[in-house]
Amino acid sequence: MSELSVNHLLGIKYLNKDDIKLIFETADHFKEVINRPIKKVPSLRDITIANLFFENSTRTKLSFELAEKRLSADVINFSSAQSSVKKGETLIDTVNNILSMKVDMVVMRHPNPGAGVFLSKHVGASIVNAGDGAHEHPTQALLDSYSIREKFGEVKGKKVVIVGDILHSRVALSNIFALQLQGAEVMVCGPKTLIPKYINKLGVKVETNLRKALDWCDVANMLRVQNERMDISYFPSTREYTQQFGVNTELLNSLDKEITIMHPGPINRGVEITSDVADSGQSIILDQVQNGVAVRMAVIYLLASKIKQ
Amino acid sequence: MNILIKSATIIDPKSEFHNLTQDILIENGVISKIAKALKNPDNYQEIKLENLHLSQGWFDSSVSFGEPGFEERDTIKNGLKTAASSGFTTVAMNANSNPVIDSNADITFVNAKANNHAVTLLPIGALTTGSKGTDLAEIYDMNTAGAVAFYDYKKPITNPNLMKIALQYASNFDGLVCSFPQENKIAGSGVMNENITSTSLGLKGIPALAEELHVARDLFLLEYTGGKLHIPTISTGTSVNLIREAKKKKLDVTCSVAIHNLYFTDSVLIDFNTHFKVLPPLRTEEDKLALIEGVKDGTIDMVTSDHNPIHIEHKKIEFDHAKYGTIGLESAFGALQSIFTLKKTIDLLTKGKPRFKVETTSINIGNTPNITLFKPDAKYTFSKNDIVSKSKNAIFENEALKGKAYGIIANNKVAINN
Repeated sequence: MSELSVNHLLGIKYLNKDDIKLIFETADHFKEVINRPIKKVPSLRDITIANLFFENSTRTKLSFELAEKRLSADVINFSSAQSSVKKGETLIDTVNNILSMKVDMVVMRHPNPGAGVFLSKHVGASIVNAGDGAHEHPTQALLDSYSIREKFGEVKGKKVVIVGDILHSRVALSNIFALQLQGAEVMVCGPKTLIPKYINKLGVKVETNLRKALDWCDVANMLRVQNERMDISYFPSTREYTQQFGVNTELLNSLDKEITIMHPGPINRGVEITSDVADSGQSIILDQVQNGVAVRMAVIYLLASKIKQ
Repeated sequence: MNILIKSATIIDPKSEFHNLTQDILIENGVISKIAKALKNPDNYQEIKLENLHLSQGWFDSSVSFGEPGFEERDTIKNGLKTAASSGFTTVAMNANSNPVIDSNADITFVNAKANNHAVTLLPIGALTTGSKGTDLAEIYDMNTAGAVAFYDYKKPITNPNLMKIALQYASNFDGLVCSFPQENKIAGSGVMNENITSTSLGLKGIPALAEELHVARDLFLLEYTGGKLHIPTISTGTSVNLIREAKKKKLDVTCSVAIHNLYFTDSVLIDFNTHFKVLPPLRTEEDKLALIEGVKDGTIDMVTSDHNPIHIEHKKIEFDHAKYGTIGLESAFGALQSIFTLKKTIDLLTKGKPRFKVETTSINIGNTPNITLFKPDAKYTFSKNDIVSKSKNAIFENEALKGKAYGIIANNKVAINN
């Protein structure tokens, strides 16, 4: 297979196994490119991409922009922490205004779940979802799986636990879909207040004891507690959260195997992960960041080649 | 009004012509003859339609027309036209306008707007001033002006003491208090049913618990206060059970269910389609089956279209921002007949009347006609062409439905669709 089954990347749930394989094989090539002295290819000189960030982002936005520039696409950026609705303009109008300047592809982050799906039905551009509320963050899940594949050779059969605030996390949801699609086993771990009540129906294991979860897994993906998305305290204090759900060296050393630690960032050092763990050899956090650029280059390249057809 | 209806099958258990195909002669606004092959006495208007059936006029206990204040959604005039065209002779209109209908003068305004129409519009007054949930509105005064019930549309009375007082106070004049069943603190900022679909869409869920806690609370209050309680639009199996038990205790409680909650489940939301964003939300298959069972055994007293036109600008936006609601009058009969038998469907479309003090008139000689005309075997895919409402937010769009209204004869007027 040489092309994606979809015209947009709206979520992992809309992809199939072969799509992921193709993205990873393409990313392998781009990873080699970005480690060359000249880190750039001319593939997308005829493509214009708009990065629309309706929600704050640092690393995802930089990663996308870098990926686009390394493919030689023309890039425009639009950031507004305020949703377009609050300003009185609808999302469709905002995007159509930008598209009328002859933009081919939109990379969008948005606070509302389904915003990318909605947009894809109403505007004529290829949409890449860079995070929509608590729905999906597909490129993050792809780069996470890519990093697991890089470390272990394959994702299939691996046991991955996602620890922390599952309730408010698009990263968790996309990771669950991506890992399951590739044949990995998935567990979620966190306080019951931060785990969706019906998540077991997605076929994941649920564990509220971190020690047991780490005993079970090959990889632990530590998530940040998303205080900004909470309307009520889901646990009494950060101190108490860390006591139960923070990983530290002592805990890792007490396991009878060496597990791999991941984190999508930004890290709250000393909360979900201690500094020594984050900076240790068990952590592949910075590999994830580097792989993010390669994976995003692959996604954009593959979607752009469908536009060009 | 002089009319001869030719060859119509009468579906009315209260009529001595039930299940018979007859001609019906209406003279000077009264049914004068029902018999086979009646002659047109004097060039009367003749109604002759394919597979024509008649029943007592249909009633919907919860419709919204926007006016006053939200005329972009719909107007009372066009709302009544929609009702007539969909077979409803009587509709109870919610107070969710702007301003909210919460005074004698407001009720009088609505009555004046709806005057002289084939469809009877019964105004529902707000239970609390401005539907703000803090102080009782002048419900006695509204009752005097013709309000048939008191309801803060889709807004729960969060203060249990206020609900207690409302039930006690309304019982002085036999007033019907309606209580939207949702505990807002549990519902939080949820926008759909909490289950696997909400989980996989990352949308915030409204747990069934939010409704059930509220229903249980209101039933406890009713047991304490006495009075008449109506719980509009329940949506969960446990709510049905709670109300079934309350009825065994002889509490004076009735409830309704929205037709779409009997037809759809939350799995249809998988595409983030805002047409499916309704309140209470579409629930699970188990809930749907329990609701249908509740309708069949009489625990649920009536069905409603919960007709609520919403302007496209409030639907063609991100799911979180879209307004709740669907139009439903146009699809009510066709959707019900896709679930129930014709006989049950007609029963459901008429049995809510006494609770809202609507007179029931059987199809018998000597009675004033309040009749719905319909074609039960019409099969069609519901589309925008079937919509009479100004707003087109139809949850049943693209659904295969069975049965269509021809129109109504009521209030000494004939309203038949072209």
